[in-house]
Amino acid sequence: MSGNALPGMQFLDPAVLARIGNLELVARTVVEGFLGGLHRSPHLGTSVDFAEHRPYMPGDDIRRIDWRLYGRVDRYYIKEYEADTNTNFNVLLDVSKSMSFGSGAATKMDYARTLAACLAYFSNQQRDRVGLITWDEDIVEIVPPSAKHLPNVLHALARAAPQRTGNIERVFRKLNEQFKRRSMLLVISDFYEDPRKIVDAFAQLRGRGNDIMAMHILDTAELEFPYDGATSFEDMETGERIPVIPEYLRDQYRTMIRAHVAEIERLCGDQGVDYWLFDTSMPLDYALFAFLSRRQFLTRIR
Amino acid sequence: MAFLAPLFLAGLAALVVPILVHLTHKERKDVVVFPSLMFLTRIPYQAVRRQRIRNWLLFAARCLALILLAVAFSRPFLTRAVANVPVRGLGPRELVILLDRSYSMGYGDRWTRAVSAARGAITGLGSNDRASLIVFDGTAAAATEPTADRAILTTALDRVKPSAGITRYEPAFKLAQRVLAESNLPRREVLLISDFQRLGWDGRDSPSLPAGTTINKVDLADAKTSNVAVTGVDFRRDYAEDRERVAITARLVNRSSEPKTGQSVTLELNGRAVETKQVNMAANAAATVDFAAAPLPSGTTRGVIRAADDALPRDNAFFFAISRGQALSVLVIDGREGGAPRSLYVERALAIGDQPNFRVTTKRLGSVTSSDLAGRSLVLLNDSDLPAGDLGRRLVEYVQNGGGLLVALGDRSAPRDRPSYASDLLPATADALVDRSPDRGGTLGYIDRSHPIFELFSAPRSGDFSTPRFFRYRSITPSPGDEQLARFDDGHIALLERKVGRGRVLVFTSSFDGIWNDLPLQPVFLPVAHQLAKYAAAYADERPWSIVGQVANLPSIFRDSTGPARAADQAEYVAVAPSGERTRLEGTARRSVELAEQGFYELQRAGSRAEPRIVAVNVDLAESDLTAVEPQLLTGAMVARAGADSASSAVEASTPADLERRQGFWWYLLAAVLLLLVGETLLSNQLSRRIAVPR
Repeated sequence: MSGNALPGMQFLDPAVLARIGNLELVARTVVEGFLGGLHRSPHLGTSVDFAEHRPYMPGDDIRRIDWRLYGRVDRYYIKEYEADTNTNFNVLLDVSKSMSFGSGAATKMDYARTLAACLAYFSNQQRDRVGLITWDEDIVEIVPPSAKHLPNVLHALARAAPQRTGNIERVFRKLNEQFKRRSMLLVISDFYEDPRKIVDAFAQLRGRGNDIMAMHILDTAELEFPYDGATSFEDMETGERIPVIPEYLRDQYRTMIRAHVAEIERLCGDQGVDYWLFDTSMPLDYALFAFLSRRQFLTRIR
Repeated sequence: MAFLAPLFLAGLAALVVPILVHLTHKERKDVVVFPSLMFLTRIPYQAVRRQRIRNWLLFAARCLALILLAVAFSRPFLTRAVANVPVRGLGPRELVILLDRSYSMGYGDRWTRAVSAARGAITGLGSNDRASLIVFDGTAAAATEPTADRAILTTALDRVKPSAGITRYEPAFKLAQRVLAESNLPRREVLLISDFQRLGWDGRDSPSLPAGTTINKVDLADAKTSNVAVTGVDFRRDYAEDRERVAITARLVNRSSEPKTGQSVTLELNGRAVETKQVNMAANAAATVDFAAAPLPSGTTRGVIRAADDALPRDNAFFFAISRGQALSVLVIDGREGGAPRSLYVERALAIGDQPNFRVTTKRLGSVTSSDLAGRSLVLLNDSDLPAGDLGRRLVEYVQNGGGLLVALGDRSAPRDRPSYASDLLPATADALVDRSPDRGGTLGYIDRSHPIFELFSAPRSGDFSTPRFFRYRSITPSPGDEQLARFDDGHIALLERKVGRGRVLVFTSSFDGIWNDLPLQPVFLPVAHQLAKYAAAYADERPWSIVGQVANLPSIFRDSTGPARAADQAEYVAVAPSGERTRLEGTARRSVELAEQGFYELQRAGSRAEPRIVAVNVDLAESDLTAVEPQLLTGAMVARAGADSASSAVEASTPADLERRQGFWWYLLAAVLLLLVGETLLSNQLSRRIAVPR
């Protein structure tokens, strides 16, 4: 991959980060290094700012009544702050066995793990409640969203190990019951599934008011198919083998994988799902930029 | 190229191996673990299994290496035939350029191509090479000495033009042999630029080029040729009212596989077109064209038969020179009046034939006057007395001035009554007759067949002189200087020649009347009578044309009519060629001129104002046959002879280094194999690295 544009960005190289065992350190290094490079944008969230007054409702904490306003208007009003509007930020990480593939120093799982840690750390810095759900053919582990659960999330990420096949349709049907409150859902997967099924799975969550961002992680070898010589290819999840002469299939494979990506992106756009494709050779700043741009957009329209 | 161990070529069968290797997609044992096969399984299986050669460059390298290896082990060596290809980089060479300039090279654009090829050879000379230019037709001449100066060679080449000669390869190769033999350069090469006409090589020429000489050829022969040639003319003279006319017949040949229709043929006399005719000719066939008889003007007439131009114009014109007076005027004196005429047989014999035409006048002795001798080529005293008085003296003068006298002695030619001058003309003759009647006649016992009269009969079965029977004849006594040309079987002289002044006297001791012998009744009489008349009259056949390459001897041309023979031998002459080139022949050493050009030569005594003698010269029509010999046959024969010569002198020619050089070709092949294998290794490694196999 080409060098990074900003100073210090070499630390965001996935291959370098993959060699750092402490995930928190990795996340901090990436996020703070990234933010330091940006000199802190003034548009980023100000969670202690006053937002609005609303009439007192029975059951509200009487400590939040604005007594000064009561003195002026003789009515009870509750003072609300911006921080109260922060949402849950859940990472839905695919830990199916295909995520363990990698043609370089870092596997897709490494990349996805680092990416999830960075974004969780960043969100926690924004005082969002962060949570994590890892899944393959079923839900593997759940860390409920909380402002204090960042260490739990990072530990869960570190523990995550791809072992089984994936089934996004079944998992997301289950998760539909999981989210009682509107959340920001970051789905990280290699999406080896029929695009229609993927989007159908998103649609269930989307219909409950969740904001979904889909990050499609693929290795360079999966995109370019640079193999040569007759050999057998084995499916990582099913163990199926077929004889292949890659030089004869390369063009057809590339055409098909691009069509697959394009179809997912098109269907996600139709469903209002933000979609990004990440090549594991890309630096992480690209992912952070994508995420921050999305947050900024949400802040403006809120 | 040949092989010392051709069985090794069977190793070429190993080519099957790389073919199978590149067709067979061998599956590697290590398995590529891939995240998902959902796309691969969707691709049709046929596309995966289609058999095609992979990695063409690698495949070609492997095949070529195998081929070269097999060829190298079979030990190839250069044969002489293949050695014609010049091998560069083995030292300076001695190049001999043999340029054919025979007139067939004027066919189409052959000459342009020939000059271009020669120029290319000169341009291709290396800095240390030497070359010489030899031009040849029937003869060969070195246009340059061996030189490394291209400018000299180019200048000499620019001066060469096609000649009128024919093709002969032997002189050219002999000259090339001499040049190459004197060369000290390591490589010797002959470049033969020719149309390879068949007539130029009879298969027996033995130029024996030096060993190691390579022959390269530039074949200018056309696959299909078309050529019409005028091959000759015939003359028929007739005399009407003392005017001599000639009817000319031209012969043409069509040397092509296509018929010719409407071929125009024109007769030109003295530069003026007299008549043009059209003729149709079948393929590879001859035809004749008859022109109307035309009166011959005085002097020599220059005639040309011209056929319409084609690709080879040289043989479309045929030149000839004819003149009046080719008829021999004969005066027959048939005894005195009163007796029976006895000249019937001889008159009839001389009336036949037109080469020459005899104009015979028969008179009795008493009616002959001195004026009758004027203009006569021959006087025949047929069984007659010698004239007396003034006529007798005029007869002697006539003979002394070159006139011919033929005397047949019969019973009326009485020796007793001979006038006094008779001894100058005739040998002494006895009164008594030799009578061979009792023994049924005598025969001719000796004939001088080397004499011009009897030369015609020298070939076997040419004239039967054993059948004539001679019953009577006269006995004569020859004088010193007389030549006995024939004798009877009893030793008596039958025919005697005496030279009197510039004239000739022939004495036949029997008669021509069929009484003393039966010679007039024999088939041999007609040619004998003609030969006697022509020799006595000193007649020489007119040669209407000569062939390029012949030599004209000027004293013989001018001798017969202009003064004494010694004067002709000592005179100086001027020859003007058709091209206008004037040659002065001075001194006794230069008495002849070579007729090298086609057209009319004008020959004249130096300083003379008389009309020049005209000699028409034509090209040799053998050259107009454009049939080509297979060039490989010719060059192969030369190479083979060179090879045979080298074998005969193997000690100095076939040195070990030479043999090694001719057989050492396999080293280069092995080196090429080595390079190919190195390249194959690098290439296959590079291809292997391209096969990325993630863990």
